Amino acid sequence: MFLKHSQIAPARISGLLDAAEAACRAIPPAFPLEATVAVNPVLGHVGDDLATASARLARVAGVVLTRKRAEYAAAMAAGRITDEDLADALFCSTSPMKPIDLGTLKAKAQADAPAPQALPTVADLAAQATGTDWPEIIARTFGLWAAGQFDRGQALWTPAPGQNAYTAWQGWASRDLTPEIAGLKGFCAHVAGAPDLAERAILRASEHLGLHDDAAQSVYHRLLMDLGGWAQHGRWLLWQAELDGETDNTLAAMLAIRLVWEEALLAHVPGVAKAWAEAVGQHAAPVAPSPDMVIDAILQDAADRAHQRRLAATLASAQPVAGADRPALQAAFCIDVRSEVFRRALEAQDPGIATIGFAGFFGLALGHRNHGSDVVEAHLPVLLKPALNSCAAAPEKADFEARIAARATRAWGRFRQAAVSSFAFVEAAGPMYGAKLVADSLGLKKNKATSPAPKLSDELSVEARAQLAAAILTGMGITKGHAPLVLLLGHGSGVVNNPHESAYHCGACGGHTGEVSARLLAALLNDPATRAALPAHGIDVPADTLFLAGLHDTASDEIALYPDHAAPEHAEAVKQAKAWMSRAGRIARTERAARLPGAQAATLAERATGWAEPRPEWGLAGCAAFIAAPRGQSAGADLGGRAFLHSYDWTTDQGFATLETILTAPVVVASWISLQYYGSTVAPQVFGGGNKLIHNVTGGIGVVEGNGGRLRTGLPWQAVHDGEKAAHEPLRLSVLVEAPEEAILGVLKKHPDLAKLFDNGWLHLFALKDGKMTARYRPGSGFEAAGFAQAA
Amino acid sequence: MPITLPLSFLAPLVLLAVAALALARPGRRPGALPRLSETAALAALAMAGLGLLQVIATGPVTRGAGALVLGADAVSATLALLVAFIGWVVMRYARNYLDGEAREGTFHGLMLATLAPVLLLVQAGSLPLMILAFATIGVLLRQLLLFYPDRPEARRAATKFSLVWHAGDVALALAAVLLWAAWGATDIATVTTMAREGALPAAAHGAVAALVLAAALKTAAFPLHGWLTEVMEAPTPVSALLHAGIVNAGGVLLIRMADAVQASPGAMAALVMLGGLTALFGAVVMLAQSGVKTALAWSTVAQMGFMLLQCGLGLWALALLHIVAHSLYKAHAFLSSGGAVKAVASIRRPGPVAVPNLSAVARAFALALLLYGVVATGFIALVGAKSPQALALGAMLIFGVAYLIAQGLADAAPADLTRRTAKASFAAAIAYFVFQQVANAAWGPMLPDAPVAGPLEWALIVLAVLSFGTVAVAQALFPLWAHHPATTGLRVHVANGLYLNALLDRLIGGFKTTKTN
Repeated sequence: MFLKHSQIAPARISGLLDAAEAACRAIPPAFPLEATVAVNPVLGHVGDDLATASARLARVAGVVLTRKRAEYAAAMAAGRITDEDLADALFCSTSPMKPIDLGTLKAKAQADAPAPQALPTVADLAAQATGTDWPEIIARTFGLWAAGQFDRGQALWTPAPGQNAYTAWQGWASRDLTPEIAGLKGFCAHVAGAPDLAERAILRASEHLGLHDDAAQSVYHRLLMDLGGWAQHGRWLLWQAELDGETDNTLAAMLAIRLVWEEALLAHVPGVAKAWAEAVGQHAAPVAPSPDMVIDAILQDAADRAHQRRLAATLASAQPVAGADRPALQAAFCIDVRSEVFRRALEAQDPGIATIGFAGFFGLALGHRNHGSDVVEAHLPVLLKPALNSCAAAPEKADFEARIAARATRAWGRFRQAAVSSFAFVEAAGPMYGAKLVADSLGLKKNKATSPAPKLSDELSVEARAQLAAAILTGMGITKGHAPLVLLLGHGSGVVNNPHESAYHCGACGGHTGEVSARLLAALLNDPATRAALPAHGIDVPADTLFLAGLHDTASDEIALYPDHAAPEHAEAVKQAKAWMSRAGRIARTERAARLPGAQAATLAERATGWAEPRPEWGLAGCAAFIAAPRGQSAGADLGGRAFLHSYDWTTDQGFATLETILTAPVVVASWISLQYYGSTVAPQVFGGGNKLIHNVTGGIGVVEGNGGRLRTGLPWQAVHDGEKAAHEPLRLSVLVEAPEEAILGVLKKHPDLAKLFDNGWLHLFALKDGKMTARYRPGSGFEAAGFAQAA
Repeated sequence: MPITLPLSFLAPLVLLAVAALALARPGRRPGALPRLSETAALAALAMAGLGLLQVIATGPVTRGAGALVLGADAVSATLALLVAFIGWVVMRYARNYLDGEAREGTFHGLMLATLAPVLLLVQAGSLPLMILAFATIGVLLRQLLLFYPDRPEARRAATKFSLVWHAGDVALALAAVLLWAAWGATDIATVTTMAREGALPAAAHGAVAALVLAAALKTAAFPLHGWLTEVMEAPTPVSALLHAGIVNAGGVLLIRMADAVQASPGAMAALVMLGGLTALFGAVVMLAQSGVKTALAWSTVAQMGFMLLQCGLGLWALALLHIVAHSLYKAHAFLSSGGAVKAVASIRRPGPVAVPNLSAVARAFALALLLYGVVATGFIALVGAKSPQALALGAMLIFGVAYLIAQGLADAAPADLTRRTAKASFAAAIAYFVFQQVANAAWGPMLPDAPVAGPLEWALIVLAVLSFGTVAVAQALFPLWAHHPATTGLRVHVANGLYLNALLDRLIGGFKTTKTN
C-alpha cells in the first residue's frame, strides 16, 4: 500500500476518495468565456427533485433554487398564477410534507421562507472566533494563485506551464506570505509539509478534520462550492479531458487545497473544534427538504403550470398554416428562441416563405481552424466531439499575411504590457488614444470585416459527403420539394466590449457564431458531385435549388448573406429574399425593442454596438418551451421569442431515429440553457456571473467582481434583469413533442439519464396532437390527458 | 482685447448645477438626468476648450485675490481640457452603463460633483484652494468607491483610499503653513517668484518635502500604493476617472509648484529615487497580474512613478506630457476592458510567440541605441541641444523600444514580422520625440528648465539609466528565465506586490471581518 497513514484503514481510503469524486461531479463545468456555452448549473443534482436539490444547495452553498415567496405571491395576486395552477401543483406534489390544502399553500405563499444558510466551514468558524476574515483571505489568495495558474494569456508572467495544479499550488502557497501576515503563523511550512499528492492531502486533511464517510461528500461539496467559479473551471478541465477519453485531477487538487486550508485553520483555532464537529454531524445527515422548500417547489411548479396553460391556449388558438407545395424561399434557422421572433416576421412577408428550425451547427461536428490561426476551435454542441476538420479557404499567402499582422499586433501588445517598454508605449502612443476615445464614445468604429469562406480540410469521398448531406437534410426534414433558394442561417451577436459576448452567440456552435457551420453546409449542398449522389439516399433536391449561407445578428436582427456561390440565375430570388428579410428585421426589431430598456427599433443596432451597453440584447432570457413539431402547426402562434422551435415530422421519421436525436441532443442542450437562465436568476450569488459594472476579466477565461477572489460563472445580473424586474421568468422548460406517446416513452426508456430530467421535474414533457398540447408526462405513469382547454 | 474671465473657470459650476439636480432623482432611471449629465460634461468640455483658446489668444490670466486665486495658463488650460474631456467620455459611458442601477441618479450626481473639484484643482492658483479641491475629491470619491456599500471589499478599499488620500491632504496643509511661514504667501505665482529668487529658507525646504510627500501619497507611490490597486470595486467609469483624471493630481501639484520643488535638490533626488523605484516596482508586479483591471491598476502605479521620476529629473513638460498621454490611454484601457476576453483569445491564435535569444536581444539593444542616436541627433540638429536628463530619459524609453525590436529579431520570427516590428519601433521613436517637442514648445515656457546636472544629478541619472536598462534586458530575455524553477518564489512575491499591501492591511485591520450595515 502506498499510504503510510496507519490511522486510515484501506476501506476508508476508497470511501473518502469516492466521496471526493462524487463531490467533484456535483460541480457543473464552466466553459471559458472565449467560447462559453450555457451549462445546467444543477447538472450534478438532476437525480434530485427541485426541493431536494434546494436542500442540498442550501447546505453546501447557502442558496435555494426557487424564487422569493413575494414573487410568487405577486404573480398570484396579478392572476398570472391561478388557484387552479396552485391546486394542480399541490395535487401533483409527491412530498409527504406538502401543505394539506390549497388555503394553507396560499397562506404560506404570503410569508417569506427563512433564508438558507450554508453549513459553516472551519474558515467561517475561525472568522467568527478570531475576527479575522478567513473565508475572504482564502478567496483572495486562492483567487490570485488560480488566476495565474489558469491564465490563458492575460499576464506576461504566468507560472511554469505543464505543472499539475496541486504541485503548482504547493510551490505557490509554501512561499506566499499573505496568510502568515494575516495571522496564520506557519502556514507556508504547513503547506510545504503537506502530502505531495492531492489524493493523499485529501485523506490526511479529512483525518485531521474528523470526516467520516457519511459526512465527507457533503463537506467536500461545501468546500468546492466555496471556491465558486474556480471549481467549475476545474470541472470544465475534467469535462474536456473526458471528452478525449482522458482525465484531469485539477478539481481534486482544488479540493485538496481547500482541505489543507481547513486543516491549518483548525490547528490554528482549536477552539472551534466542537462547532466544527457539529457541522460535520449535520453534513452526515441525509439531505431532506424542509417543509418550506417543498412549498417553494410547489409554487414554482404552479408558475410552470401557469405558463403551460397560457402556452396551450396560444397553441390552441393558432390556425395551422398549410405550406405551399414548393415554397419560393426556405430559410433554416437555429432552434434558438431568438429565431422565433424573426421567423414569425419573415413568414408574414409572403405565404411562399417557409422556415425551418434546426440546431445551429447544422449537424456538422466541426473542429475549425480560423483564418490566420493555429487554434482548432470546436463549433459544435459541447456534448459532442468534433468529427470533421475545417479551415479557412483563403490562399496560403493571405493566411500568412493575416498571421503576420496578428503577430505584429501581438508584439505591439507585449510592448505595451512589458516592464520599461510600457513607459515608452505611453509616451509614444498615449496621445493617439484621444482619438480612440472619441471614436468609441460616439460609436464611429464600424467593424464589419468579412472572413474568408471555410472549407473542409478532411478529404471526404463523394459518397461520404453525400451521406453527410443526406443525414443533415433528413434531420432537418427537408428531403424533397426544396425551394429555388434555401437559406441556411446561423446566428451570432454583434456586441462589443462585452466579456460575455460568446454567451450571446450560438450555443449549438460551442459559443461561436454559426457562420462557419452555415457556410460549410451551403458549400456541401451546392457541390455538384454531392448533389448528384443524393438521390441514391432518397433525397431529391431540384436542380435549380441554391443553398445560401447567412448570419442572423441577434442584436440587430439584420441578416448578412455570404455570396460564396456564384449564382447569377438566382440573383432575382436573392434580391427578393433580402427585401423580405429586411422588412422582417424591422418588425422583429420593433418587437424586441419593446422589451429592452431605453431601446428604439430604429437604433437597436447602434445600441448593441455601443461600448458601454450592459444589455445589448436579452439573449435567450425568457426561454420557456421547446417545440418539436412541423412548423406549420405553430406558425400561426405568437410565441413571444420564448420557444425553441425544432422542425420535426414524425410521419416521415423512420424508426423514430430523428426523435431520439432531438430528445437526447437539442432538448438536453435547451435544458442546459433554460436551467442556466433559471439558476442565474434564482440564485445569482452562486450561479450568476455577478455585476457587469465591476467585472474584472481574469486570465482571459472569466470574470471576477472587483479586485479579485472567486471566479464568477453563469450569466451576469444585467443579462437576466433589467434593474426593476427579472427579464427572465425562471421556469423549467416545457418540452412539447408532436409524436406518438409510445414513441416518446420509448426514447425515455432507452435513455435513463434523459428520463431523469423529466422524472425529477427539471423539464416538463407534453405530447402534441395536431399542434395542441393534449397529454402531459407524469413521472412513473406515462402520459395523461393534459386537461387544457382545446377550443380556439 | 482683454478677456474678462476664462470660461474654463466656470466649468465646475455647470457640473455642480446638474449634480444638484441629481439630489432630486437619486434612484433608478432618473428621467433626463443621465442625458443632462452628459450634456453638462460636454458643456464643461466646450468651456475648457474655449478657455484654452482664450489663453492662447491673450496669454496667462489670474483671477481672485489672496488664497482664492484661479489661474489660466498653457499648463492649467491643457489640464482643464484633459479633465473635461475625460469627464465627458466617462459621463457619456455612464449614461448607458449605469442604466437600471438602483442608485443610478446618485451615481451621475456624484461623478459630476467629483469632476468639478478636479477641474477646480487643475486651475487653482493657490495651495489652500488646491487643498480644498483635494479634500473634496477625497470625500466624494470615497462615496463613489462605496457605490456598492454592501461589498466588504469595497468598504476596505474605501477605507484604505481615504486614509492615504487625506494623509496627503494633511501633508499639503503642512506645506501651506510652511510656505506661509517662509514667504507669507501660498499662491503659486508668489511661491514661483520667490523660489526663483534664490536659495530656499528652511521652512520652504520643509514645505517642498511636504509637497513631495503629498504628491507621493496621491499618486500611489511605493510603498503606500495599495489603495490604488484595490479600487476596482466601483463601476468601470469610476476607475477610468480615477486612473485618468484623479490619480495624476499629485503630479499636477508638483508641476504647479515646479520652481519651488526644483529649488530643493534633495526633493528632486527623492522624486527620482521614489519615482524610479515605484515605476520599476509597479511595472514588474504588473507582469504577474492576470486580472485585466488589476494589471491596469498596477500599470498606473508604475506610470505615476515614471511621472514622478520625470519631475525629479526636472523634465516638467515631459511629466505633463506623460500625464496627458497616460490619462488618454488609461481611460480607454479601462473603459474597453470588457474586450479582454477577445484580446486574449486572439493572442493565442497566430501560434507561439517567437522568443528572442541572448544574441537577438543584444542586437536589438544595439539597434535601438543606434536608432536613438540617429533620431536624437536629427532632432538636436533640428531644434537644438537637449539636457542630459532629457537624453537619459530618452535612453530609458529606447530600452523599451528595444523590446519591440527584439521580438522581431527572434530566430523564429519571419522576415515580414521583423520588418513590421522594426517599422513600429521606428514610428514609436519618432512619435515619442515629436510629442516631446510639442510638449516643450507648449508648456516649456511656463516651467523651469531641467537643473544643471551636478554630481548628485549625474549619480541619479546613471543609477536610473542603469536600473531601467537592467530591467529592460531582463524583460527582453524574460521567456528564457520566467519559468525556471529558481524564479518560482520570485513570481509568488512579485504577484503579491511584495506583500506591502498585506502589511498595510494588517496595520489598518483590513483582514478583519466587516459587519454588514
